[in-house]
Amino acid sequence: MAVLRFDRVSKQYSGGRVALSEVSFDVAEGEMLFLTGHSGAGKSTLLRLVHLSERPSRGTVLFNDRNLLKVGGRRVALHRREVGVVFQDHCLLADRSVFDNVALPLVLRGLRRAEIGRRVRAVLERLGLGDRERALPAQLSAGEQQRVGIARAVVGEPRLLVADEPTGNLDPTLAAEIMALFASLPERGTSVMVASHDLRLVKRMKKRVLVLDHGRLVDDIAPEDLADE
Amino acid sequence: MSDPRATVPLRPPSPLRTWIDHHGYSLVASLGRVFDRPWAALLTIAVMALSLALPLGLALVLSNLERLAGNVERSREITVFLREDVDDARAAALAGELRGNGAVASVRHVTPQEGLESLRADPALAGVIDAVGDENPLPHALVVTPAGDELALAGWLRELPPVELVQHDAQWRQRLDTWLRFGARVAWVLAALFGLGALLVVGNTVRLDIQSRREEIGVLQLLGATDGFIRRPFLYLGAWYGLGAGALAVALLAGAGAALAGPLAELAASYGSRFALAGIDLPWTLAVLAGSTALGWLGAGLVTGHFLRQTRPTGT
Repeated sequence: MAVLRFDRVSKQYSGGRVALSEVSFDVAEGEMLFLTGHSGAGKSTLLRLVHLSERPSRGTVLFNDRNLLKVGGRRVALHRREVGVVFQDHCLLADRSVFDNVALPLVLRGLRRAEIGRRVRAVLERLGLGDRERALPAQLSAGEQQRVGIARAVVGEPRLLVADEPTGNLDPTLAAEIMALFASLPERGTSVMVASHDLRLVKRMKKRVLVLDHGRLVDDIAPEDLADE
Repeated sequence: MSDPRATVPLRPPSPLRTWIDHHGYSLVASLGRVFDRPWAALLTIAVMALSLALPLGLALVLSNLERLAGNVERSREITVFLREDVDDARAAALAGELRGNGAVASVRHVTPQEGLESLRADPALAGVIDAVGDENPLPHALVVTPAGDELALAGWLRELPPVELVQHDAQWRQRLDTWLRFGARVAWVLAALFGLGALLVVGNTVRLDIQSRREEIGVLQLLGATDGFIRRPFLYLGAWYGLGAGALAVALLAGAGAALAGPLAELAASYGSRFALAGIDLPWTLAVLAGSTALGWLGAGLVTGHFLRQTRPTGT
């Protein structure tokens, strides 16, 4: 079953610039895939359409068979709770501890304090941050900050996790570590879509790759075909 | 070691429970933000308080004036002086006739002798009365308290044959009433203008707070915060400002009242009056606090609503 389906989706901005053109693809439940292409190829726009920061100009985006074009008002927020987002610059709240940052999606859902504590600590433990829960983001290394961002994205058990250049600021070792973390998420039922222009890293992960070029989906490479590309 | 219970699917509590929890969280968090920046908060509260205190002060002055005018209005008798040739019997008969009139509440007959004694009781006039000698120039007088329309009654009394003069000071009372109505309208206009000012003050303060937290709000929105969740802390922040401003405005008015009460009581005593300045009472205090809190809430709501409309998903 497809968690996410893009059907001939186009996005044109008011100035006339075409960011996406007739893009169609599916993301299966528990699948991990990469979205790659040069800067300006449309990767970030595509992810923004998924978490409803923007809406397509044409075409249909279905999430769990729900047409996102028809999702408005309060349901935009409810949709975003089903999609975990990881940013290149982490977007952590500087004045809140690691624990509080990771707890945010659960606070939004109104979970009880004890339940929040249990879930946050479990995720932090899993991501190797068990001893850093009281630290402020500024007291963490870049890799730790990114792991906090991932912890925050997965703590709410989203159906889909989207990550926009999550390893852009990290050294290769840390980048590989973060990618391994992403690769472990589908085991828990979360589909993962990672936008990255780091082709070496993408190839090494041996996952499905969507290649965007000037807003067009020019290639959809299966993991087994990746070595030939 | 991960906690196995954490893998149980997320099951949020009831929406009502969540709503109450979020309100509690926003209430406390917004109060925390007020104390985070005490001087900025105090300045906002002080400006709002002055905006509220000015029209409220005017309303209090008018309320006291109305009370004073009310005291004067209670003594709205019509004094009817009869012609010199009207004797005791005729005057008493006329008083009896008037008592039977539905437009008359009561009639007091003042004989020339009683009138003279009354004038003699006034130290300023006693000398003059003594100089007149034994002859009493005063006519019989009837002091009539109207039961209804006093103007119509005064006009009717003027037409009676034995009546020489009708003394009825309605005109200045009507003017006073007109001034009081005008003053009340001025107070309302000022209240509206200053209230708008207070609304803008709290709105601008909350707008600055939103700007300083724009990034945080953006992150919260991406994580699935509803408009209500984003809006609530700012609404409570506005309400705290409003409540603080209302309390300060009441305190300012109480202070001003205390400063004026003594000299005013002395002034009133010099005119033989026991008039005392009425301050802001409990119902008024509660109304001011509720109104100012609502004003703060409204100002914050308008600004936050505008901000949230700007952050909707763009394009179609």
